[in-house]
Amino acid sequence: MLSGRRTLTLLLLLCLGHILLISSQVQSGRGQTALNSATLGTMATLQGGVAGLTDGIGRIWTNYFGLVGASRENEELRNRVLELEGKLQAEQARSERASALEGLLNLQKSLVAPTLAARVIAGNPKPGALPVTIDRGKSDGVTANMAIITGRGVVGRVIGAPSAHAARVQLLAGESAAAGAVIERTTTAGMVQGGYADGKLRMDFVSSAAQIVVGDRVVTSGQDGIYPQGFLIGHVSEVKGTGKTREIVVVPAVDFSYIEVVLVVLARPGTSPDGKQ
Amino acid sequence: MNLSRVFAFVIGAVLLQVLFARYLIGGRIAFDLVLVGVVLVSLQAGAVGGMLAGTLGGLLHDVAAGGVVGIGGLLKTLIGFMTGAFGTQFVVAKPYARAMIVGAATVIHGFMAIGLQAVIGQHWPGIVWTSILQEVAINAVAGYVALYLTDAVPGAMARNRSRQRSAWGRRQW
Repeated sequence: MLSGRRTLTLLLLLCLGHILLISSQVQSGRGQTALNSATLGTMATLQGGVAGLTDGIGRIWTNYFGLVGASRENEELRNRVLELEGKLQAEQARSERASALEGLLNLQKSLVAPTLAARVIAGNPKPGALPVTIDRGKSDGVTANMAIITGRGVVGRVIGAPSAHAARVQLLAGESAAAGAVIERTTTAGMVQGGYADGKLRMDFVSSAAQIVVGDRVVTSGQDGIYPQGFLIGHVSEVKGTGKTREIVVVPAVDFSYIEVVLVVLARPGTSPDGKQ
Repeated sequence: MNLSRVFAFVIGAVLLQVLFARYLIGGRIAFDLVLVGVVLVSLQAGAVGGMLAGTLGGLLHDVAAGGVVGIGGLLKTLIGFMTGAFGTQFVVAKPYARAMIVGAATVIHGFMAIGLQAVIGQHWPGIVWTSILQEVAINAVAGYVALYLTDAVPGAMARNRSRQRSAWGRRQW
């Protein structure tokens, strides 16, 4: 092949090319969005096929071979449904009361944003990177920065331009992810950030005078213009240090390793579902 | 190993990584088949082949993953060069020895990735040893399996072809 000096020259040239490519994107603050969007669509088709195949095999296993203990589980689920129906009745009564009070006080009715169910079809091909791909895209009305939630709490937001039938989602525990948050008990505001190797979140910009205790529920504040207000982010698991150096560790409510079906919130806080302010 | 074979091998590795991305949700498990492909190619083709495989594989991997394009390219180019240079200095023929080199390359790649991320993002993400060790184990096993298949499949196909040929020769017409 090449001589030693030529090999080293080629290595230097390739490294220099990569460094220039990286620095051009880091400086502009955005990646190659058009290229990413195009590849996302192609990849999502392949990944959707693989997800369908593996899910199908999983369903065969669950439906035909994994029926041991199904009747006990069925009984437990029936009891759970009864319990939840009771809770739902109570919540409906409370909602009607709140709605009546809003009417009495001439307040704007609380907006319940429409949601769209989506399936998580793939993780990120880069190991350690957290963004996932969902099977809903532009043609389903999904746009950048829409919030993604599950029944347990906040998952993340749509990043980049979605393709026709797929979108990439940044998980809240991922690098440079953040959400406006409040401690429910004290209504202390702050910002929850991800990007830590332990998979937990950190709550910053919290008043040093605020009393935070382990177990406090952390919910979205709705102030960031992405996540709707009042959705559970997680619970405070640790408070390290005091004053300005205090570090508040939050365990996410959602287990990001096992998300299969999510909901896309089709409107941003403070906007109507059709996007008007 | 000629250049077209190098590129075909690397593109195949990228495709497999994209298809198996379903198992990478939320960092449940970690593996990098592109890195495995680059290391195996560089051990076979030397430093130059390794560099080119690393550049192509890394860039394709970056495009597929989204985000900053070039980080994976830079890291895998360096890994391709290092393992290629190592492969030309020392004869590494046994599959388990090659799998061990895949494991070592995974560790070096992991540390370089964390360092580069800290420089670019100005944020130290921390090191999770369990995750690194798990990736090392999966990559090494994947490397071993790939080597076994690349060694065994062409031989089995040739044997099968010669058996068919001899069966045709013995047949009485």
